[in-house]
Amino acid sequence: MGEYFMPRVAVLKFPGTNCEEETVYAVREISRVEAEIVWHEEFKWRMWDAVIIPGGFSYGDYGRAGLIASWSRASRELVEAADNGIPILGICNGFQVLVELGLLPGALTVNIDGVFHAKWVKVRINNPKGPWLVLAENGQIVEMPIAHGEGRYYHPEPHKIVVERPWIEYIGCNPNGSVASIAGLGSSSGEILGLMPHPERAAFDVQVPYPHTAGGKLFFESIGLSLRRGW
Amino acid sequence: MPLSRDELEYAVQVLGRKLSVEELAVLEAEWSEHCSYKSSRRLLKLLPSNAPYVVVGPGRDAAAIRLFDDVDLVLVFRIESHNHPSAVDPYNGAATGVGGIVRDVLSLGAKPIALVDALFLGDPNDSHARWLAKEIVRGISDYGNRIGVPVVAGHTWHGNAYNRQPLVNVGCIGIAKLNEIVEGFVEPGDPIIVVGNATGRDGLQGSSFASKPLSDGNEELAAIQVGNPFLEKLLIDAIREAVENRLLKHVKDLGGGGLATAVVETAAASGVGATVYLDKLHLREKLEPVEILVSESQERMLVVPKRNCLDKLIAIFDKYGIEYSTIGYFTEDKLFRAYFKGKLVVELPIELVVNPPEPKRASEKPRDWPPPMPDIDIPLEKAGEVILKLISSPRIASKRWIYEQYDWGVGGRTVLPPGYGDAAVIWLRELGLRGVAVKVDGNPRYTKLDPYIGAALALEEAYRNVYVVGAEPLAAVDNVNAGNPEKPEQYWFFHRMVEGLAWIARELEIPVVGGNVSLYNESAHGTMVDPVTTVMVVGRVFDVSKTLGYRLRGKGVLVLLGDTYPELGGSELLALLGFEGGSPPKPRPALEKKLSKLLRVVAEKRLAYAAHDVGVGGLIASIAEMVACSGVGATIDLSSVGCRECRWFEAAFSETQARVVLEVPSEKLDELKLLARKNNVPLYLLGYTGGDIFEVRIGNRIVSKIPVEKVYEVYEKTSWEKFMGVD
Repeated sequence: MGEYFMPRVAVLKFPGTNCEEETVYAVREISRVEAEIVWHEEFKWRMWDAVIIPGGFSYGDYGRAGLIASWSRASRELVEAADNGIPILGICNGFQVLVELGLLPGALTVNIDGVFHAKWVKVRINNPKGPWLVLAENGQIVEMPIAHGEGRYYHPEPHKIVVERPWIEYIGCNPNGSVASIAGLGSSSGEILGLMPHPERAAFDVQVPYPHTAGGKLFFESIGLSLRRGW
Repeated sequence: MPLSRDELEYAVQVLGRKLSVEELAVLEAEWSEHCSYKSSRRLLKLLPSNAPYVVVGPGRDAAAIRLFDDVDLVLVFRIESHNHPSAVDPYNGAATGVGGIVRDVLSLGAKPIALVDALFLGDPNDSHARWLAKEIVRGISDYGNRIGVPVVAGHTWHGNAYNRQPLVNVGCIGIAKLNEIVEGFVEPGDPIIVVGNATGRDGLQGSSFASKPLSDGNEELAAIQVGNPFLEKLLIDAIREAVENRLLKHVKDLGGGGLATAVVETAAASGVGATVYLDKLHLREKLEPVEILVSESQERMLVVPKRNCLDKLIAIFDKYGIEYSTIGYFTEDKLFRAYFKGKLVVELPIELVVNPPEPKRASEKPRDWPPPMPDIDIPLEKAGEVILKLISSPRIASKRWIYEQYDWGVGGRTVLPPGYGDAAVIWLRELGLRGVAVKVDGNPRYTKLDPYIGAALALEEAYRNVYVVGAEPLAAVDNVNAGNPEKPEQYWFFHRMVEGLAWIARELEIPVVGGNVSLYNESAHGTMVDPVTTVMVVGRVFDVSKTLGYRLRGKGVLVLLGDTYPELGGSELLALLGFEGGSPPKPRPALEKKLSKLLRVVAEKRLAYAAHDVGVGGLIASIAEMVACSGVGATIDLSSVGCRECRWFEAAFSETQARVVLEVPSEKLDELKLLARKNNVPLYLLGYTGGDIFEVRIGNRIVSKIPVEKVYEVYEKTSWEKFMGVD
């Protein structure tokens, strides 16, 4: 037997990122792997087994959500990490960064009614694969809160891009006018995943008021398992 | 507002010379009502502020209490108004209100974890009021969301008095380890560092602007501060990092009165003097020395590092890319000196600056006040109609259009978000399952009719909302919003509100550990807006997994705790009928205390599915709210509330205090009854939950039957949601 290394997850922090603490907490407590908040200037992908870009307003969302962060040095590291098959999860602003970087297709624009929405939503997980969704069943419906002003997903051919990829779909109501009700989307391998809802806010039972359920646990349990056993 | 003639004469007499322009500006800012509390200082001393767990009481930027005996975590909190700016530029006015209160909490070294807002808005049918409301909410939303501090609870009121002059009160809570609390004590030789935003011409003389009635013109736009939430977020992160590394001995917000006030108040609190070089401050544009002294540009803080910590502090500011300047130092001689390009422009004794002559304020009860209780009667046949009208009132109907614009969940700590329970519950995950509950309340109809009782009821209601979720109320901060203190009939409302608040605080044994006073809420035509005291209560929770929300399960017994009396004075029902009059309901602190104890056991033993207090609109409104937001039916019998002298509409709509509705699993009912008897709390069986009808009976007679879907529609859709779609 070789030495056992505890897998390590980086939770990337840009100026203006604001969901890093609860995200690190969920990774430590639920994924049961090591996790650290990593300041964007200090981020080197080779040191980590997986990366999460948490929610917030990186660089104040100036220009467009995620835009300036996608120009940063850390983002060049992210592209290299992606090329090397490192699992990357982008939550909310993190999803916006992944889209701006071109690691995921399409665009995220201002909600159709121009208003910020924070509420619990139901989503369906379609075609799950990859390290973030190993425990998900196809068609599984989970609940999580959303909180965003720029979450309207757009792609000219939405039905083509979801054929191969894992994707997440709003059920019941489409809160922001996303094309094909797309709430989240993965790379074709599922190693990269971006989503607007916040799994770290629905990861523990105490974060979940009646009548909702803790739909975010799945993502953290999946990555924990994947990093220990592969995917 | 310029200094009064008396104040000017006093200053000249003390100094024995004339004042420079810069000195006048410093005094004008610091002697404004907003900064000096000159009309309220004496009265505010009436408020009890002591308890064994109070760590920092009134006097600093925020208060602090210890939540649990066995952990060294303290809760830091404060509430503040931003009324005048929000009337002129609602978006920036409300946004910078959030920024200011967050920096106040940060000033003690705490990490801000939640915000609450109390909004007193106009009539949704009035287009100007609607514009103000929309922009105020958007301002709070944009700022709060971007700094990553969730708005977790609030209170919204609507009335014509606020059509032009809304009231915006924002509270913030933060957490810190006991030994992280920044001492706030400086010594001669310590440097004065200003970090954050470059100073510009915005917010000039904001404090003196907030210390007089609004005028009709546009000249006031120059006094509005403009917010930069991205920079605020960087400041929060940088200051917290400095606090965690124990680098700071003092932090203070550059708020009302700007640089001059922050420096002078710091020096006064430590019994020292200060010398500043105004040309050393980083500026956004070319400014006159007088402008540098009193500009209220946002996102700026005064920081004083511990000895030998300056380099480390600067490294943190550099990491976050925040600008800073070292502009001077504290001195032995208790003078405030300001130089500009080598020239001494201000030399004032600190004592003089922080102690304006106390103005004489006369208080006189308005004649024939309050209007008497009108004689009303409502035929039973109208019950269904009245119920629907009541729950569509903007004061009762859903506030979803507001709170869903706020990111209530950032931080991952929100256990009970808005729309789910009577108070917000925040999870302190660093302490296992423990948490904190918070709520803010205030009813201007009550305070207008009887300011003493009305202010008392504000604290009583916030206290009740906190215990209803299963928390133990511990402390309060208040925000008194009143009219022009120079007019005896307006000052009377202020003075009676403070007295009422002091009385109930003693009765409930809740220390009022800090607060804010907003005076001059008066129009250009001399009309006072409806005065109101807003109170924020915080409490502790030992197990957040046992929190009580108000969403019904649909398989329980409905129980009313507390007695009902015919108390319709100042009620929503009266307003609906077009009357304003009578006395507000009687405060019932003794019963509230018993209920508070009881509800904690109910939560601990899981004896109820849901709990909701009875407030504006009475029992019917309370149950309709539960029905609407859970989509579950209920059947209640009005003859079972135990009020013999009540007519049907009194049983239904009386706003008697100290009452709580519970949905109880039937197998737990006996245990609850026993417990209520043991605690001397009256208990009445109202009916049951389930089905898809909200049915009201009197004995066997059905007086109203409304489908749940209809209740939902009226509660959610007929009010603000509809009005906000108009423009």
